[in-house]
Amino acid sequence: MDNKIMNFQNYFTNQPTTPNPVGNMNFNKCLYTPQEKPSDLYEAYQGFIRGNMSPGLYNQYKISKPLDVEPLNEREQLLIYVDALTFAAHDLNLYLDNFPNDKAMIELYNQYRIEADRAITQYENNFGPLTVNSEATNRYPWSWNESPWPWEM
Amino acid sequence: MWAYQKRLQYPVNIRKKDLKMAKTILTQYGGPAGELAAAWQYLNQRYTMPDDRGKALLTDIGSEELAHVEIISTMLYQLMKDATIEELKAAGLDTHYAQFGRDLFPTDANGVPFTMAYIKTSGNPISNLESNMAAEQRARDTYEHLMDLTNDPDILGPLSFLRQREIVHYQRFKELRNYYLDNLK
Repeated sequence: MDNKIMNFQNYFTNQPTTPNPVGNMNFNKCLYTPQEKPSDLYEAYQGFIRGNMSPGLYNQYKISKPLDVEPLNEREQLLIYVDALTFAAHDLNLYLDNFPNDKAMIELYNQYRIEADRAITQYENNFGPLTVNSEATNRYPWSWNESPWPWEM
Repeated sequence: MWAYQKRLQYPVNIRKKDLKMAKTILTQYGGPAGELAAAWQYLNQRYTMPDDRGKALLTDIGSEELAHVEIISTMLYQLMKDATIEELKAAGLDTHYAQFGRDLFPTDANGVPFTMAYIKTSGNPISNLESNMAAEQRARDTYEHLMDLTNDPDILGPLSFLRQREIVHYQRFKELRNYYLDNLK
């Protein structure tokens, strides 16, 4: 598991970051027409910490660069892996609701979906179920109700 | 139906309690541009959307807003955790404490309780989507005001993430509005 986490972090930290060229008032994007190509998008972690997979739509306020998510422990480190991949799939999900004929983006969605599922299984094997219908509930004693809950540090 | 995932969409680890920030962030829980209002506005509108794009988009963004309610609630919980009575008084949260103790309760930053009268819907998919675009813009404005009020990176991280989601949602609602203008005759 340690190796996988390390590989994952390298995978994230080696991605180039695209500076926002437009400044702080481009949130409206009135002329923005999505012509997204999968290769134009941020990698999962870079999109996740920005809250936006699309560099063309990204707009920053107050902070000078996106804040890294700092895990407090090994559990959180693995959970960030889940969060980032799930976020990437979700942001593409919203795009695909509007553009259901974008074949390349459907393929990318499914890549992230599969990677996210793999990360979820890895997390659940080590730290217990994320959903109550998970395979990880099949152990004794009942593990679903174990802390920490999401609002606890 | 909905299935619970035992995690936040974006992690919240606020190490320093800050009662004054808690009082201001309350508005994104139960205020007019808050996450609860957004969630219910979109989930309420989805039933009468004219095509599959709209039914899907409002379901998916509405569900994401429920996850944002949880992020904001977590921020409030952590910001107010272990506060003393004196600290609550100093931040003007003694009125909240009097009514709700240490429970959360959806109000705006001035203590006005959440009301479903905040949600906008008027039986027309274009008007509804334009209300949603405006809701996203107002929420983005509010997140910018909240970001102006703190320099704590533990608070700025989730606020910045949530602000950015307003920008993405605004774009998705606008695309759908434009698609309907071109295609609904």
